Amino acid sequence: MTAFLLLLLAPLFGGSVKWLKARLTHRRGASPLLEYRNLAKLWGKAWVRPTLSTPVFLLGPALALGGALAAASLLPLLPGPGFAGDFLVALYLLNLGRFFQMLSALDTGSAFGAQGSYREGLVTLLAEPGTLMALGAAALAGEGLRMAGFPVLGPQNALVLLLVLASLAVALLAEGARMPVDDPTTHLELTMIHEAQLLDHGGPLLALYELAASVKMLFYVGLMALLLPGPKVLVFLGLAAAWVLALGYLETFGVKLRYLRLPDFLSYNTLFGVLALLGAVWRF
Amino acid sequence: MSWPLLAAFLLVGASALAGRGRAYPWLLGAGGLGFLLGGGALWGGEASASGFFLMLLGLLTLGLAPYLPDYLAHHPKEARAYAGIVPLFLLAMAGVSLAPPGFAFLFLWEGMALLGYLLVALEGPKAQEGARAFFLASRLSGAGLYLAFLGQGHLGPDWVWAGLLLGFGVKAALFPFHLWLPLAHPVAISPVSALLSGAMTKLGLYGLYQAQAWFGPPPGWVGLALALLGFLGAVYALVRGLGEEDLKGALAYSSVENLGLMLAALGGYFLTGAPLFLAAFFLHQVGHALFKGLLFLGSGALAERRLSRLGGLWRQEPFLGSLWLLGVAVGAGLPPGAVFVAEWALYQGLFAASGFLVLGVGALALVGALALYFYVRLFGLAFLGAARAEVRPELSPGMRGGLLALAVPLGALSLLPDFFLKPLAQEVYPNWGVFPLLFLTLGLVRWLARRPHRAYGTWDCGFPRLSPRMQPNGLGFSEPALRLFPFLRLEVGERPRLEEPLAGVYRQLGKAYSRFARLVQTLQSGSLHFYLLLQLLTLVVVLGVVLL
Repeated sequence: MTAFLLLLLAPLFGGSVKWLKARLTHRRGASPLLEYRNLAKLWGKAWVRPTLSTPVFLLGPALALGGALAAASLLPLLPGPGFAGDFLVALYLLNLGRFFQMLSALDTGSAFGAQGSYREGLVTLLAEPGTLMALGAAALAGEGLRMAGFPVLGPQNALVLLLVLASLAVALLAEGARMPVDDPTTHLELTMIHEAQLLDHGGPLLALYELAASVKMLFYVGLMALLLPGPKVLVFLGLAAAWVLALGYLETFGVKLRYLRLPDFLSYNTLFGVLALLGAVWRF
Repeated sequence: MSWPLLAAFLLVGASALAGRGRAYPWLLGAGGLGFLLGGGALWGGEASASGFFLMLLGLLTLGLAPYLPDYLAHHPKEARAYAGIVPLFLLAMAGVSLAPPGFAFLFLWEGMALLGYLLVALEGPKAQEGARAFFLASRLSGAGLYLAFLGQGHLGPDWVWAGLLLGFGVKAALFPFHLWLPLAHPVAISPVSALLSGAMTKLGLYGLYQAQAWFGPPPGWVGLALALLGFLGAVYALVRGLGEEDLKGALAYSSVENLGLMLAALGGYFLTGAPLFLAAFFLHQVGHALFKGLLFLGSGALAERRLSRLGGLWRQEPFLGSLWLLGVAVGAGLPPGAVFVAEWALYQGLFAASGFLVLGVGALALVGALALYFYVRLFGLAFLGAARAEVRPELSPGMRGGLLALAVPLGALSLLPDFFLKPLAQEVYPNWGVFPLLFLTLGLVRWLARRPHRAYGTWDCGFPRLSPRMQPNGLGFSEPALRLFPFLRLEVGERPRLEEPLAGVYRQLGKAYSRFARLVQTLQSGSLHFYLLLQLLTLVVVLGVVLL
């Protein structure tokens, strides 16, 4: 159920960020709804197969979206399956997509694809432990080690949950390949992380990848929404709108970090994660 | 002993005598089936660790039976010796897992170590260093076991367990005694590497697990040490493996990583007694044996194993590529693979534990991310992209059969981990739920493949003549990650090199030992009178000790 919701909203989310960024730079900007038509157009196109490629080339986009949607289906915004440890499965399902995306980039035999591939690996390496520890802290503070049992922000657990929220915010920037980790609008292959892996994917394959990127970001927004008080779906929609604003401003007025400085930024994620976990264990 | 096990021992023994005749694979395969059935009955009945190990050994033997004769046909040197020693090695391992603690166990343990050493050393001069490392590690392991077995009843549990930790830990590649494994395992021929990594290392784990029944519950520090060193070893091995150029060497480092996680799970079990840790411990073992066996057997088809020389193997041999992809995806700890299910159980156990053990979650997540990076590098550089050198994989039908015989149980185990874990009375999450996703994805891939598309050159940024050498090489791919970890020094430049200070420490120790040995050598004067004098002195000292 939640997966359908996220799939439906994903193009709107991406389109809104693009529209806001255009407005902030004094352009008129295309309607946020254009993204739907763009995806439909891409879906109808033929795709290009690099001569060196193998079936792994197609597995990349298919599993990137499949993994993200499977992870989203475990998110208890709407009623759906849930079990102890479901947040671990969800995070690793995102990893499943990432694994095949990285392989798919190597499959073209391109130097740029390979560069994007190992950079993505580095970002994962830096972001994943913190994110997992933060989610673990939320699960320990809640009931049953499951996402449906995550606690909501209140005075008794404010410190832990604020740390978790901060960690998830950093994770969203890293996983969604947004500034300051990556620049989604860069035109220079040498500086790309996420886009470098999609250079040779066109038509429906590109559509799958773009959808997957937006669904992944919305998944993190959904995780944050679980921790805030109020009716889940409404909180989620409000938080998504807030993130559109945040991303629009961040990417208009911020700059991308130098690639070698990424560990400095992403180590905050690990720090938040460790502190949140320790806080959850000793019940601060 | 149940009759399938008895039959298995006889059949495998007969195959050792049969040499390389036509009956060889059938004898070996039937023996493997016997181990599987007999072990499975023991495991299903009373959750016995011996039965578990026999089952695992049976699975590997079933894969090896069709593979080995075909592989040896391509490897005429020493083929007869390999064909004879491999079954004996299997028998020794099965014997170790059934032997009662005491003389029989130690005898079989040393016999197994000796046969394993022979199998590594048979590969000739280029395996010399690895064989020596294997031998020294076996001696160290033996020393620890003698301390524990002979000291039982005389020494306190602390000493006994220290001996056990050394004796079994060295075999299971416990950090920092793991350095021998990546030296010894990759230099052997691939089927032997599969047996060493897949089965023999598990006997170290088996010993540690059984020791609580034999020697009484471990003192608290044992569990803590296992958990700490396990996680440390897993991270260390993966990072070191990221700098490894040899395909099989990298697989050996990954074995150290997986063993580290299993040791950590066992440590958690010793500390808390939670069945989740046991589920992780056993499931990870069988998952690792199958996927590592698959990868090692698959790498036997390659004449060239340097990552920076490989590339594009999938297009030459899609069968090998797709089975390797299965093994690699399971090894990277991705759902729904069996290794992920084991890691999930370990996570759950860590969350349920209290105190500092919870921080293991962070270590495990780091291992997960590193494994992702590690296996993308291994598979992507070797099997995808443009070929960097002319390498033709050679797979005969028997070798294909052996690979399939490991891949099918691996898939079944991932599909139904609960069936396997039934004896432990510990359930895991509903893993089959992931399979609809995989089927839908494969359907999507099929649909996309039928959509109109055209072949075109890879995007080259507008500059013509993309060359295969523009792809990152083995060290280039992992350079950003290697920078992050201070325990390795990466020298970039004309000849990039990776330095490992820990290995330097061992080299210094080795030199000091050689110096000491030379000092002792002066006793070896060759004079009979001097030897007689020494014997007399020994007698006097011993008598003195006994009488006083």
